[in-house]
Amino acid sequence: MVGVDRITAISTSVSNHLPNPMLPQLKAILCAAIIAIGAFAIAGGIVSADPGGNGAEFLPEEFASHVLPLLRMRCVSCHGQEKREGGLRLDTRRTTLLGGDNGPVLQPGSSENSELIARLRSQDDARRMPLGESSLEPEQIERFRRWIDAGAPWPDALAGQEVASTHWSFRPIDRPAVPAVRDAWPRSAVDSFLLDRQRRQGLHPASDADRPMLLRRLHLDLLGLPPAADEIEEYLNATGPDDCERLVDRLLASHHFGERWGKHWLDLARFAESDGYENDNLRPNAWRFRDWVTRSINDDMGFDEFTVWQLAGDLREQTESSNLVATGFHRNTLYNSAGGADKEEFRTKAVKDRTAVTGAVWMGLTLNCAECHSHKYDPVSQREYYQLYAFFNSTDDDQFQDAPTLRFLERPTRLHRRGNFLELGAPVDPGVPAFLPDLLMRNSRPDRLDLARWLVSPHHPLTGRVAVNQLWQHLFARGLVATPENFGLRGEPPSHPELIDWLAARFAGLPLANVVDSAGDVNGASATPTQPSSAPTPGAWSRKALIRLLVVSSSYRQSSANDRPGHAEIDPENRLLWRQNRIRLEAEIVRDIALATSGLLDTSLGGPSIQPTLPKVLRDLDELKNERFQESSGRPYRRGLYVHMQRTYPYPMFAAFDGPDGNACTIVRDRSITATQALTLLNDPAIDECCRALGQRLMESTADDSGRVRHAFEWCLGRAPSPAEEEIIRQLVRQQQEAGASESLVWAGVARTMLNLDETITRE
Amino acid sequence: MAGTNDHRMPSPLLTRRNFFTRVGGGAGFLALATLLRQEGLLASAPLASPTALVPGAQPGPHHEPRARHCIFIFLAGGTSHLDLFDPKPRLRELDGQPIPPSFLQGVRFSFVKPQQSVLMASPYAFHPRGECGTSFSELLPGIGSCADDIALIRSMHHAAFDHAPGELEMLTGRDQPGRPSLGAWLTYGLGNPSHELPGFVALINHRGPVARAMAWGNGYLPGRYQGMLLRGQGEPILNLQTPADIAPRAHRAQLDAIEQLNRIRGAQSIDPELETRIAAYELAFQMQSSAPELIDISGETQATLQSYGLERPGQQGVFSRNCLLARRMVERGVRFVTLFQRTWDHHKKLDADIRAQCREVDQPIAALINDLKARGMLESTLVVWGTEFGRTAITENASSGRDAGRDHHPHCFSIWMAGGGIRGGQVFGSSDEIGWRIAENGVHTHDFHATLLHLFGLDHKRLTYRHRGLDVRLTDVAGSVVSRLLA
Repeated sequence: MVGVDRITAISTSVSNHLPNPMLPQLKAILCAAIIAIGAFAIAGGIVSADPGGNGAEFLPEEFASHVLPLLRMRCVSCHGQEKREGGLRLDTRRTTLLGGDNGPVLQPGSSENSELIARLRSQDDARRMPLGESSLEPEQIERFRRWIDAGAPWPDALAGQEVASTHWSFRPIDRPAVPAVRDAWPRSAVDSFLLDRQRRQGLHPASDADRPMLLRRLHLDLLGLPPAADEIEEYLNATGPDDCERLVDRLLASHHFGERWGKHWLDLARFAESDGYENDNLRPNAWRFRDWVTRSINDDMGFDEFTVWQLAGDLREQTESSNLVATGFHRNTLYNSAGGADKEEFRTKAVKDRTAVTGAVWMGLTLNCAECHSHKYDPVSQREYYQLYAFFNSTDDDQFQDAPTLRFLERPTRLHRRGNFLELGAPVDPGVPAFLPDLLMRNSRPDRLDLARWLVSPHHPLTGRVAVNQLWQHLFARGLVATPENFGLRGEPPSHPELIDWLAARFAGLPLANVVDSAGDVNGASATPTQPSSAPTPGAWSRKALIRLLVVSSSYRQSSANDRPGHAEIDPENRLLWRQNRIRLEAEIVRDIALATSGLLDTSLGGPSIQPTLPKVLRDLDELKNERFQESSGRPYRRGLYVHMQRTYPYPMFAAFDGPDGNACTIVRDRSITATQALTLLNDPAIDECCRALGQRLMESTADDSGRVRHAFEWCLGRAPSPAEEEIIRQLVRQQQEAGASESLVWAGVARTMLNLDETITRE
Repeated sequence: MAGTNDHRMPSPLLTRRNFFTRVGGGAGFLALATLLRQEGLLASAPLASPTALVPGAQPGPHHEPRARHCIFIFLAGGTSHLDLFDPKPRLRELDGQPIPPSFLQGVRFSFVKPQQSVLMASPYAFHPRGECGTSFSELLPGIGSCADDIALIRSMHHAAFDHAPGELEMLTGRDQPGRPSLGAWLTYGLGNPSHELPGFVALINHRGPVARAMAWGNGYLPGRYQGMLLRGQGEPILNLQTPADIAPRAHRAQLDAIEQLNRIRGAQSIDPELETRIAAYELAFQMQSSAPELIDISGETQATLQSYGLERPGQQGVFSRNCLLARRMVERGVRFVTLFQRTWDHHKKLDADIRAQCREVDQPIAALINDLKARGMLESTLVVWGTEFGRTAITENASSGRDAGRDHHPHCFSIWMAGGGIRGGQVFGSSDEIGWRIAENGVHTHDFHATLLHLFGLDHKRLTYRHRGLDVRLTDVAGSVVSRLLA
């Protein structure tokens, strides 16, 4: 049974070459190959399996001298690393054995059952390979036949390198040492990584932002609300080396933290409260999912648990009913209830959406590219796409309006040719892409629970990196990977590869290479690296711990002013973070600020959404007679998080400030600057109401104009006005008085001015 | 026409900015500002379009454009090619007979049950019109009179057979939400030539398209390329009006204070986005006067108003007014105007409803083409009759007579284009003998979009946007320019 031994040898060497552990698909294929060879039961060397003997013995060196050159010259221009027509790569051993979108192309030991030979010999121009070129010479085809019949031997030395093993984000997460930088500036390991890079570029970090700016930054980033007057006073009077840390701990414990960061997650979850498409019916229970997200984040539920509940809560053995609503994550798909809609078409669209969103949110992969054909750039074949699709392929949409605790019923899955649900191809079983780690199954057939646990296994190369990058971008304006939605070959490389791995390793609970305490304190950073311990880092998967680590860093605390000569020329986009970035705030936060400063804000938590009143002129229009915002409901001054999300009719103010419409997963919000925004802040009736309330509040605060101006700046911007700024407002007061405005109108006008400032709607 | 990038021209605002930057903040700054205001410079300075100040110029044009503006009339609901644009004498012979089963393979329907339906000829006469002799339905006498300007495509096709997906397919190139609409692509590619109005405007009557804001959405393009919904009634733009009790002088004083405070902040943080913000406020202020001026049609002659049919009652008059407003917008530089008009979804009572719809749109559309032509604007303005799909040759809801209707049919339908570099007086493509399938020269949505971009000097393969790490485009990975449509 030398033939069998030979294949076993291939199997072993292939698995050594691949990311560990070995891949299930490959195992299956190799087993099939072994069985195929075994059936011939050939002993005494590698010989042609053809009993007729019209082929000579295939010599091992023939592969290198004849077969491989043929593959390279005639096949890989279309079936190689660059182009993978039909999902097939013939440039490496593993991919050649694996086959393409339509299955294996060769069966070692059996040329007559090998598609490769059939395609080389075909008389049909549309099928014969190489497509559109002259066919191979008969003796070349004969060489392929003999090679396959001999068991398709392929020496290790020529096995070939695949992209998967070299692309940074597909490799196991590294546990880099913290760079030893001799400088007083770093407060944490994060700073050491950043400073090390800056120094090599001749850049210097900015000094700390002044205390008012830092206070407002932390309030906006962690809670989405500006600091109140007493909070400003308290912080400005606080002293002590750890006053910032104490402030951060207080903010992390606030229930507004979950509202702020829950919204970031709801963007990813394409959360909305209606079906979308033509009828766009209401989903009256959708808010329960929103509340679960905010509560889980406030409770600092580990990101691993948070993931498993959302993707597979219905499959867990111990199901807590309070967490079952988490599966609402994938019920946020659109649903077309139009009379003429094809139910199967829109059901499959929803399954594709679940597949694509899972890929984007947890793995930073653009899986939707593989819906119609194998991914052009990333190592995801069309068949692998439908293997992931199979996890989500279930019957559930018919009961969409029911309580979100239904179990998904699995369906058999077939590949969709060209992505068309009417053209079903080969059956596929649930599975994960071959370039990623093995999937551990509880039973013989993997299910969504296995998939969810696989995603949050600490050794998954993508989940940790993608998650820390998503959190990072909300604190520094841009991810360490500037394309947080794409960690594949066409994504941007990370600006700080070691830092993202260091953070991802911490977050995923991988033991770190360095002696660093749980807060990421830099004290041990320059110590000699020790052996990684096997115990997971405390605080694994804790978002609060990671956010705390980031916001107490010197890097986060920097001033955002672009005021140092030379720096912008070296690094115009500030990728190396030699200052903080200014961030135009999100739509909901712009509204929250207006409500908070005017004293109107209703801070109650959770529950059904509100529908703020729309301007009467809008309500009276014919075109809106049937729209959802006709009637206001709920308390209108609640936070933007609670504004009803209707997919086909986003709340106009939010649409103006780039709020998501819930039709697709939003990983990066745009931060546009438009005239519509100006008109909204100047004239929208809801903002106008805030202006008048703020004006009234200013008048009641003191009788002294100068004091009122000071309060206006403090409440809106968290700081005192400069003399020039105060003079501009006092001049405005005079001009309005000259124009005959009443006192309340004058101060409402001051409020209108303040709420329209760029600084008011910017996190500096 | 290389000079169409007028939004890149240096504006007095930039000059003013430089002046302030040199002078800096403080008392001198205030004294200067006062001085300038007294001279009327602050309040009346022309403005730069916000796009002009955003880093990274737009990617186009790639070649000499033929069209500079587009008026895209979208007849939502699905116009019947068989009753308006594509005469089928053979269908008259087969009227009342069952459809041969071979036509049903691979075809889906929304509501119709093909086994219970029969073929239905159009009850309307078709006549050759113009010098070119293209046949149009008697229901569209006005549009027929423009036959020599029109390139009629009788072979449009795609696969989306419901309304919202069909609208999205035609307007964004994909039958699912999330992609930028045509107008967003064009303003992204070419910028906004208007200094006082947005570059992409949508007008609606009735309830507009079912895809709602996605029909003029920016998709994954930045928000500044989103179409602005201009309302034909009341306030033309949402939040355009200053609250009633704020006097114009007080309003201007507040805007000045906002600008001055933003400038101080800009001098401190040295962030170019502050300039963009300041320019956006200037554009908003300009729009507060230019938008009401735009919709104030009191300066139009009686003859013009009558030609568009503005005196007509109800929604007829609204559509007439929208057509006139479209011309006024193009005159003022707006790049892309979409007019949505509903509804053509005639599943039953086709005869009564299609007559009413044609009455509503025929006169104003013909008037628009003639008006543009008379003003020398048709050459650079592309006018499109678009819809999400055509309708079936078989009946729905009744076998014949007044109650009969037609179902959705995306496999073969008709649209047309005029002006803006289109060779008028031609028919492109054809359908089979019952208007069911493409007979020759099929035009897919991607081909249509590639052609439209080409007219604007844009290569559909080069007009890309980096989204999720991929260079994406309107035409996905397909589409080719239909060169026979070009003048």
